[in-house]
Amino acid sequence: MPARRRTLLKVIILGDSGVGKTSLMNQYVNKKFSNQYKATIGADFLTKEVQFEDRLFTLQIWDTAGQERFQSLGVAFYRGADCCVLVYDVNVAKSFENLNNWREEFLIQASPSDPDNFPFVVLGNKVDVDGGNSRVVSEKKARAWCASKGNIPYFETSAKEGLNVEEAFQVIAKNALKSEEEEEIYLPDTIDVTGGSQQRSSGCEC
Amino acid sequence: MQEAELQDLADDADYAVAIASEKPAPKSITRMDSKKSEPDGAELVYLKDNVTIHPTQYASERISGRLRLTKQGASVFLTWIPYKASPSGADSMFQSSNPNLLDRDRSLYTIRAVPFTDVRSIRRHTPTLGWQYIIVVLSSGLAFPPLYFYNGGVREFLATLKQHVSLIRSADDPNVFLVNDFQDPLQRSLSSLELPRALSIANSASTSVIPAPSGETSARTDDGLSIIQHTGRRQKVNDPARDISIQVLEKFSLVTKFARDTTSQLLREIQSDTFSANDRKNRIPAPLSNNITEPENSITSVSDEIPVAADPHEVEKISLVWGKPRQTPLGAGEWATFLDAEGRILDSTGLRKRIFYGGVEHRLRKEAWKFLLGYYDYDSTFAEREYLASVKKEEYETMKRQWQSITPAQAKRFTKFRERKGLIDKDVVRTDRTVSFYDGDDNPNVRILRDILLTYSFYNFDLGYCQGMSDLLSPILFVMKDEQESFWCFVALMERLGPNFNRDQAGMHSQLFALSKLVELLDSPLHNYFKQNDCLNYFFCFRWVLIQFKRELEYEETMLLWEVLWTHHLSEHLHLYLCVAILKRHRKKIMGEQMDFDTLLKFINELSGHIDLNAALRDAEALFFCAGENGEACIPPGTPPSLPAEDTSLMYSQQDDDEIL
Repeated sequence: MPARRRTLLKVIILGDSGVGKTSLMNQYVNKKFSNQYKATIGADFLTKEVQFEDRLFTLQIWDTAGQERFQSLGVAFYRGADCCVLVYDVNVAKSFENLNNWREEFLIQASPSDPDNFPFVVLGNKVDVDGGNSRVVSEKKARAWCASKGNIPYFETSAKEGLNVEEAFQVIAKNALKSEEEEEIYLPDTIDVTGGSQQRSSGCEC
Repeated sequence: MQEAELQDLADDADYAVAIASEKPAPKSITRMDSKKSEPDGAELVYLKDNVTIHPTQYASERISGRLRLTKQGASVFLTWIPYKASPSGADSMFQSSNPNLLDRDRSLYTIRAVPFTDVRSIRRHTPTLGWQYIIVVLSSGLAFPPLYFYNGGVREFLATLKQHVSLIRSADDPNVFLVNDFQDPLQRSLSSLELPRALSIANSASTSVIPAPSGETSARTDDGLSIIQHTGRRQKVNDPARDISIQVLEKFSLVTKFARDTTSQLLREIQSDTFSANDRKNRIPAPLSNNITEPENSITSVSDEIPVAADPHEVEKISLVWGKPRQTPLGAGEWATFLDAEGRILDSTGLRKRIFYGGVEHRLRKEAWKFLLGYYDYDSTFAEREYLASVKKEEYETMKRQWQSITPAQAKRFTKFRERKGLIDKDVVRTDRTVSFYDGDDNPNVRILRDILLTYSFYNFDLGYCQGMSDLLSPILFVMKDEQESFWCFVALMERLGPNFNRDQAGMHSQLFALSKLVELLDSPLHNYFKQNDCLNYFFCFRWVLIQFKRELEYEETMLLWEVLWTHHLSEHLHLYLCVAILKRHRKKIMGEQMDFDTLLKFINELSGHIDLNAALRDAEALFFCAGENGEACIPPGTPPSLPAEDTSLMYSQQDDDEIL
């Protein structure tokens, strides 16, 4: 299998149906928001050129269907991912509770070489709704979860208003790049031949 | 079943215990002269007789065979070989409409030494009623048709397998076992690095029982079991794919004969294309005869050269001869001629054929769709339909009241209802809002869409709601403009398409499997291209299939396509031929630009709005005739939109595991 072009960074957006995955992607890439998006069927992606320290990269952002039933497709779509973005709706408790499922499902299906250090970014979307009055997941709670999973970077976003979207994707791209570079220098002699390293780095349980 | 009472293996760990314990080995294992060596040195670790595939809903066409697990070094292989048919004429291929389809099905479904490294998961179905079966899903996403264990023993099979490959129960679904064949952690790590093949060859050569001599591609046992050598390319002796390609060649002689027979008639109809069509017809056999003498070369040639391998069918040209010109839509006047005095449709075949070639005028859809979808019987009278409508109206209202009467306090304790309603609410407001019928704030039609879907999720609680359903309902409501009638038409449609939305995605798997087989049959260079580029899962066609091209076409075109598909004239699965037709239209670009999976998916998604429906339908029709019986044999039994073989009331009962944590 030919090596993937080094300049391509693959990002997967996951999260429950209707949390705003498509909107976030379109806001970031096209600087547009629409109320007319349809529920994503299957998967699609958009690309955007990004620049870091004089190097140009193509960020390939994958938008997937949010209903759990379609997760079996992930095996084809998640492979070769450099970063995974987990999105929930701050106004829907269940979408936050499901983040863990999405994270684990991703790790199973994408089976990255170093799952413990695979970069995730969490976005709490729709902070604009009802001026924040309908919010049910607090920022504190979300940050605590992110910290417990190995200090996952966290952003509160509004795809509708473009709030924090650019900032979030900057970090997403940076982390994807880091993961890509680590993969390149990852040598066989660092392999854990005991095989069983099941315990997750628990991070700081704050 | 008795199996369940034998030993409680409800938990993963128990599987190991069951085998490790000193209980006498279960029947199927004692049958195999314990640990007998296979002729090639492979070790037989499991054997089960009477494992059966159901190619159609007819019991007489079921194919029974023997399931085996063999071990070659560290690798474990799955093999299912059908029993020999009663001796009969081997040259039955040419006798069209010969019922002797079984021989071909045998080779189509045979599973020859599939390594577990290629298997992603195994889903088990152990219903309390009916046969147990497993579905083996490959890493590519393709799945084999269900393997029914007539004598039971799915648990034992999994227990045996667990001794040799790592089986992990899916966290989401206790009936899904994820397969990971890498026993050796070093190999696992190496593999995850995607290092060049050379490394893994070195690694596996030491464990391989038969070091394959260089120059040879595979070793072979008597029954066609082949050992896959680690040279990067897999080749299987007795590859069923090759059997099919040979059948295709045979089919071509029929095809050309058919073309010859019909040409004289068509010459009169299509003057302008006479010469090219005639010319083409004579040239068809030429590239094919190469395939006969050098079948191996045809496989390898695709990747090496950028010039795109010739399309043996040249569908663009052939369709000029075959796919009949589309007609104008069926109008009210002509419709009336199909009805007798009491409203019965006597010649439903003729009616369906007429609609197949032209669709129906929009204002007639409200009536015609009820027949096409199966809500109305063709031989019902005006009076009977009127009566049915009144009964069904009442039935709908009863079901609707069920969820309407759920109080807030009740809903608070009814998570599944709340979540379902939430999902439906989210989807209806993003379904076809640009169509004027559904646009604007507080559109009552959006609410009706919601009510129907929620009522449906109570009508078929096991299946529930799944994304894509709102896309299927939207044109129906648009046509019917009536809540109850739309509901029952949607129910009729979901009788056929329900498996698309099932939790195990079995309907989608079988359609994508059939699609891959059809492409293999109808365009083997394109098939080989997909194979080499890791595109065989056909997930790039997922949206096409799931919602019947709804997102690819304009609203009006979607309605036309659907009524054409619903006629089931020619085939219940014309949509799969349509997929092949569209892929073939773009084969040059796909292969010429060396599209990888990602690029292909993007390309296919962006075809939305750029598909010439009428041309694609004509191509699909032509391809259907090209493929003939071999095409239909590519499609596993019960593949949607075929009505399911099993009792539908049991179909979804085990599947609704959304809530299992």
